[in-house]
Amino acid sequence: MNANDFKSDLKPVWCPGCGDFAVLNSVYRALAAAGCAPHETVLVSGIGCSSRLPGYVETYGFNSLHGRALPIAIGAKVASPRMTVVAVGGDGDGLAIGGNHFMHAARRNVDIAYIMMDNEIYGLTKGQAGPTTPTGDKTKSTTYGNPDPAIDPCALAISLGASWVARGFSGDVKGTTELMTRAIRHHGFAFLNILSPCVTWRGEEQHKELRAKTRAIPADHDVTSREAALRFTGEHDVLTTGVLYEVARPTLLDELAQIERRARGSAPPPTRDQILQLFQMR
Amino acid sequence: MENAITFSIVGSGGDGAVVAGDLIAMACAARGLHVMKTEAYGPQIRGGESSSTVRISSAPLVAPAESNDALVVFRFADFARFRSEMALSPDCVVFHEPNDPPPAELAALRCIAVPFGELAREKNMVAIGILGAMFDIPGDEIRAAIKKRFRKKGETVIEANLKAFGVGQAFQPASLGRRLESLRYTGTPHLLMSGNEAAAFGALHAGCTFFAGYPITPSSEILHFLSDWLPRIGGACVQTEDELAAIGAVVGASFAGAKAMTATSGPGLSLMAEMLGLSSIAEIPSVIVDVQRGGPSTGIPTKSEQSDLFHALYASHGDTPRVVLACCDVEDAFHTTVDAFNIAEEYQLPVIVLSDQLIGQRRETVDAASLVHDVVQRRIALPVDEYKRYAYTEDGVSPMTIPGIEHGMYQTNGLEHDELGRPSSMYVVHEQMNDKRHRKLDAIADRYRLFRRFGAEHPELGILCWGSSAGTVREAVERMNGMGASVAAFVPRILAPLPASELQAFVDQCERILVVELSHAAQFHRYLRSEIDLPRGRTAVLARSGGKTLTVSEVMAAAVEKVMA
Repeated sequence: MNANDFKSDLKPVWCPGCGDFAVLNSVYRALAAAGCAPHETVLVSGIGCSSRLPGYVETYGFNSLHGRALPIAIGAKVASPRMTVVAVGGDGDGLAIGGNHFMHAARRNVDIAYIMMDNEIYGLTKGQAGPTTPTGDKTKSTTYGNPDPAIDPCALAISLGASWVARGFSGDVKGTTELMTRAIRHHGFAFLNILSPCVTWRGEEQHKELRAKTRAIPADHDVTSREAALRFTGEHDVLTTGVLYEVARPTLLDELAQIERRARGSAPPPTRDQILQLFQMR
Repeated sequence: MENAITFSIVGSGGDGAVVAGDLIAMACAARGLHVMKTEAYGPQIRGGESSSTVRISSAPLVAPAESNDALVVFRFADFARFRSEMALSPDCVVFHEPNDPPPAELAALRCIAVPFGELAREKNMVAIGILGAMFDIPGDEIRAAIKKRFRKKGETVIEANLKAFGVGQAFQPASLGRRLESLRYTGTPHLLMSGNEAAAFGALHAGCTFFAGYPITPSSEILHFLSDWLPRIGGACVQTEDELAAIGAVVGASFAGAKAMTATSGPGLSLMAEMLGLSSIAEIPSVIVDVQRGGPSTGIPTKSEQSDLFHALYASHGDTPRVVLACCDVEDAFHTTVDAFNIAEEYQLPVIVLSDQLIGQRRETVDAASLVHDVVQRRIALPVDEYKRYAYTEDGVSPMTIPGIEHGMYQTNGLEHDELGRPSSMYVVHEQMNDKRHRKLDAIADRYRLFRRFGAEHPELGILCWGSSAGTVREAVERMNGMGASVAAFVPRILAPLPASELQAFVDQCERILVVELSHAAQFHRYLRSEIDLPRGRTAVLARSGGKTLTVSEVMAAAVEKVMA
């Protein structure tokens, strides 16, 4: 498989210059690089500009409800563990309306990659402040400035128990592709936050500003240290890209397999009569 | 039901009132008697009031108890909380602690003081010793039930309970009187199960391999049962962070090919509304069991009501085809759940099973042989050339693939979409797709004419009811017909799409109609008015709040007062 095999014939509805085009490009390359078969790959999204992405990729796709990509992805992965399941969406989708699911997907270490295209704004509804919009920013819904502090999605993921956390910038297709490939291959919940500029609602300058701030994570960073990883979160003047955190721990599927062994041991599945014995009073 | 007996045990949490009822129910089921056991609780987690009511008969039972022949009260302060929900027969015997005298209103009854607490620490065992002797329930069977129930607690506990039971048996108040020679022990043991267990077993029978749920009273036993059994058959049970995620995971698992279900109560179903719409437009099978309780909002978590009907029928914005089934009793919870899977899988839409606390949490005798039901498997398409996931078809059902099938890839969508699944906001696509999705309901209405009709062949009075009211109405109909009346009842087991032609034919053949339901707002009556024609001026309604079980005499009184008058 090469990247082109993952391209669908649907044309993106995104604005010219949107960072999501580059992310989409990385998705094609990363799926190919990770060795995924299109028919054994499931892309799940919620609602938002970036959530349109599954339609542009030739795999099984599910453009679902606002905030609900993760529960659907979990159900699909548990029901069909052989599939590569990737959840995608925006910052509002994953951190506001879907925030509770983010917390529990990370804690459970579900075996999926979750790619967040973070543009610091609600784009599809035309320019309201989102959970990653900086304090003070004037948007359509924050006429006198955003009163709320921004969330750093990576800090959140690390503290919630995600076993792989990275930050990328859509302008760096090569770097993002590498991170995405690792996220897909990771055993457990891999969270990749990609800063993806919104030229329409954050202005043409956002792209340049982000590029100027970007710097690679130091080569000697200890990815197994939560403390060290958190030092690269909540940044203002710089934007550190790369893998912040990576540990190995049992995934939800590992745990469910354990439960199956505990429940059944080496016995064959119970028959109907064996189950009904529970209700026999003699 | 002349040869039936009923008793209640009331106490505080920790008194073991519910366990006591369980043990007698188990003993009777083992001896081939028919049993219906209901429980009621106050809102407290521990230490609150609880009651257990057991109805026993040698003939099959269709309705919960009408009134009590015996009552054990460990504390009258607890009894007061259930007073408005509990009827006592005129010859009811009341057992109580000597230092806790009965209230004046019970003075007319035979009240017998028993020092339960003094006789043994396990005072509930003393109580069933007395009741067992009074009603001639075989002691060896109760002892076997005690051993079975306390198996995991060890020999010491079993011995202590058996001893206390013996003390109760030996405690024979003078001239207790009533022994029920009419109870015939057939010797063929019945299963004893709750409606929630029957629904969960139905899911396993139907081939469910994925369950996701969030704990909520009174449905949690379904989660508990499947948490225990699904892993043993190679399935998975996931407790999610909320009901939004539970139904989301069900939709995801079903998309990936699993037969999947969630169970909840009204507050959870409220949260699931958005996913009903997704399951409907994306045409992904899903099964949702709603064990109703008193509403709205948090309402009365521990007591039954039939007021989620509108929500089940209409929840979710937009034109959202879904199927709503309703079970009538414990055994029916099994059949209805299997039907729900069959319909969901074949027609690719959400199916809601409406149960309620009265069915879900009551234990009832069931015959193992009746727990069989044909199972429909999902038809999985194996496309070779261009695949149209949402192809327009005559019955509206389009070929469905699952991830892993090489030429079956598609994108599914909560957005309106064309035959290929591509998003579309064009009117013509929307109209055609709405039409296709709704055509499935026509096919279902044609195939699944699920209803019960009982009573007179040419009735003067026709009663319409649904769900857990059916049993009580059935007994009322039989009793009224036994008194020379001409009454019949029609109980739809599929509420959407309604078996409208059969229902209309039934209504047209009756002189008068009585609608019976436990919804203060008369949701069922209003729904019927929107779907069929009820005779103007000749239709009466018995609609009241839940929280108290519908009784046979209530239905009969309504028939006389509102209809016959």
